[in-house]
Amino acid sequence: MEYLYGIIIIVGLYVILATSFNLIIGYGGLVSIAHPVFFALGAYTSAVLSRDVGAPVLLAMLAGTLIALLASIALALPSLRVSGDYLLIASIGFQLGILEMIKNFRFTGGPGGFTNIPPFLIREFGRESYVVLVLAVMIAVILLVWWISRSDYGRAMTAMRDDELAFSSIGRDAMWMKIAIFGLGSGIAGLAGALYAHYFRFIAPEQFEILQSSAILTMVVVGGLRTTWGPIVGALLLQAMPQAISFLHLPPSVLGPIQGLLFTGLVLVFMFFRPQGLVPAKDVWRTVQRTAGKVRENR
Amino acid sequence: MAGVLEVRDLSKSFDGIVVARHIDLTLQSRRVVGLIGPNGAGKTSLFNLICGVVKSDSGSVLLDGAPLDRMKFHQRVRGGLSRTWQHTRLFPSLPVIDNLLIATHDYPGERLVNVLFARRRLKAHDGVARDKALSILRKMGLANVADDLASDLPYGQQKLVGVARALMADAKCLLLDEPMAGVEGQAYAAMQRVVREVAESGVAVCVVEHNIAFIRDLCDEGVFMFSGAIMARGSVAELIRDPQLTELYFGH
Amino acid sequence: MQDTTIILQILWTSLATSTYYVLFAVAFALVLKVTRLFNFAQAAVMTIAFYTAFVAVQWLEWPAWAAFIAMMVMTLAASYALERIGFEALRQRGVSVMFVFVFTFMVSEFVAYVAMLIFGTWPQTIFPMIFWPVTLVGEIAVSGWDIPAMAATVAALTAFFAFMRFTRTGQFMIGVADNPDLAELYGINKRQIFLVAMLIAGAFVGLGMFLYGTRAQVLPQTGLSLMLFAIAATIIGGIGNIAGAAIAAVILGIIQNASILFISSEWQGFLLYIFLFLAIVFFPNGLRLPRRRGRFGTATRDIPLGRDAPPAESQA
Repeated sequence: MEYLYGIIIIVGLYVILATSFNLIIGYGGLVSIAHPVFFALGAYTSAVLSRDVGAPVLLAMLAGTLIALLASIALALPSLRVSGDYLLIASIGFQLGILEMIKNFRFTGGPGGFTNIPPFLIREFGRESYVVLVLAVMIAVILLVWWISRSDYGRAMTAMRDDELAFSSIGRDAMWMKIAIFGLGSGIAGLAGALYAHYFRFIAPEQFEILQSSAILTMVVVGGLRTTWGPIVGALLLQAMPQAISFLHLPPSVLGPIQGLLFTGLVLVFMFFRPQGLVPAKDVWRTVQRTAGKVRENR
Repeated sequence: MAGVLEVRDLSKSFDGIVVARHIDLTLQSRRVVGLIGPNGAGKTSLFNLICGVVKSDSGSVLLDGAPLDRMKFHQRVRGGLSRTWQHTRLFPSLPVIDNLLIATHDYPGERLVNVLFARRRLKAHDGVARDKALSILRKMGLANVADDLASDLPYGQQKLVGVARALMADAKCLLLDEPMAGVEGQAYAAMQRVVREVAESGVAVCVVEHNIAFIRDLCDEGVFMFSGAIMARGSVAELIRDPQLTELYFGH
Repeated sequence: MQDTTIILQILWTSLATSTYYVLFAVAFALVLKVTRLFNFAQAAVMTIAFYTAFVAVQWLEWPAWAAFIAMMVMTLAASYALERIGFEALRQRGVSVMFVFVFTFMVSEFVAYVAMLIFGTWPQTIFPMIFWPVTLVGEIAVSGWDIPAMAATVAALTAFFAFMRFTRTGQFMIGVADNPDLAELYGINKRQIFLVAMLIAGAFVGLGMFLYGTRAQVLPQTGLSLMLFAIAATIIGGIGNIAGAAIAAVILGIIQNASILFISSEWQGFLLYIFLFLAIVFFPNGLRLPRRRGRFGTATRDIPLGRDAPPAESQA
């Protein structure tokens, strides 16, 4: 049973990561590979604050989310001032650099990882409660991104992706919108990190490396950008894969690369033959409120 | 008399080619200025410079006396400057009405906090904006295509929507880049009417056009550009009659 | 004086080790300038280059010169495939910047995983030993690797700059870099020029990896970090400025080596990322002035990458 809970939580967290990344790359049109690093920042902040500083876990988790949010703005603001392409390059540097830092600091446990992270809810209410927590957050995130994408903000994001110059020509500020989207998506990744840390109670730099970037990217691209179900399907698919492979009982040194090959190979294949992903986006924004009725009346 | 928009001694070269040569231009409220000249004269470049899409080498642009030079494009638009594009640049993924709704001067939906916590404000704004958008579309005879995707419209109607979009922000100064190119028939008449009405409502309008009849019927003043410089100003009738200008125009 | 000795030693070692950095930077900068693509798949070519040489020397036991040739063949083949099968298809489809990025990045990742699978994740070098005989010149330790490496690099760069300046193809490359559409109007075959740029870059990558792999250890992921260095140098040197990228690579190499005096070795790897960040924040247009007389605007904002190009609406 415990094994099953672990899987459900992992899948739930990946859905959160994929959905939030979809917000950034699909709806926001921002290219970045730095999502795992915000996952890491949330995890490490929460872990360190709760274990070594003595903060209550809930507070530490919120701090983790906040740190991820602030760090993402620190990354996005100078980069987007120049252009979106720079965000991409900066994100590579940020992802690799922050992980380098985590590996070198003593207070993060270094390359060996950070152990004995205080548990949350499990002692009082059992593992089931944590599963409920993660699933609740997951549903909340899905609803949040869905809500945003269908709102006036979603309309503006669609226009921004369509034609950024025309977007400026009607007085809209593309840069700050992008920063907000990036911040929100990355903050959510931070929250996922905190949730991860307090269940599995052990985090190490290698869990947040570029393999994760590829995995999350694959989930979103293969699942389908700019859809609600796409990231969910992608996350499920990509979590099913390692489970399926584990039946082959391959040694871990082979398992990692094979997983990586499958992820990257899938993305490449999909990009060539089905770039829209498994769940194709309609990519046409429709207002919730229809004008048609009103228009006909007033003619 | 100080104008709504003042261009002072604006210059710009790209790579040895002078696209703007000490341009001085004043746009007054309620007047329509026609900017004419052959291709490559620098007319659209001037618009780009005024808007801040391209950074000038020297000179300045003032809107209602305030210098625009340090402001980014979208900030200038919020300051009261509005423009249309030669190739419309509508948002293809949005219906016509939505193209207009996001072009209001203030768009509360631009801020995430509003979307999450101030839904009532959004709804109120949406109501007002929708009424305005529909009234503009009605004046152009486009009310029935409000829900159609912008990219599904015929070209002439798209250009009208482009102008409609530029009108949503209640700008002080409107720059129209070849609004008539590719437009004929009903759309043509509608466009003329709209531009006239906009000017009468107090806006300073400048139109870049090749359609001389349109310029003649509509503009209070003409400005002839050639090779990045303003060669002549005067009534459109005078400019058209000048043989040297005609030579420059058609010689290209 | 002991201090001058240390400084001179650092200077010498930096110059020696900057050889491969310069080659990687020039390769990246060249492809960016001519094809306007951030070629994140360069890491893939780097990985292929190294492991080909490794296999040739350590598994097939070929002599060094044969390994070098084999490596060059594979590298050029990979570059050819990348350009003709990959980039051309993407260009024809008119894909966005994001698409190109994801594609090139994934290609590099894919190749890294293949390498991991075949060669494992422990560090390798081309020759079984990376210890070269050291001679003392004055009080400076000069490795037997240094002079040949620097000579090879200088020769390659000289040949390259001569090619760019004196041959027709070289001139065409500059033409395509400045204004691809105009170049086409003049009858220059863009397709071929793009391929030539990729092949030259591949050659530099090959030489660079051979140098690197005979001096330092390589992991399947090393290509990515080395490429990052090249990206930093390209940005700091000014996008569109190949000589700038080369000089920036040397300077960054010197700073990185000199930093051993001030910070502990575990932080040295992190230094690169700080460079990159500083480059983006403070010098997005490079340390040099973006505009030079007679050169088409090389400011970063003017480079249209992918389809999301700034407007070319200055026709009226």
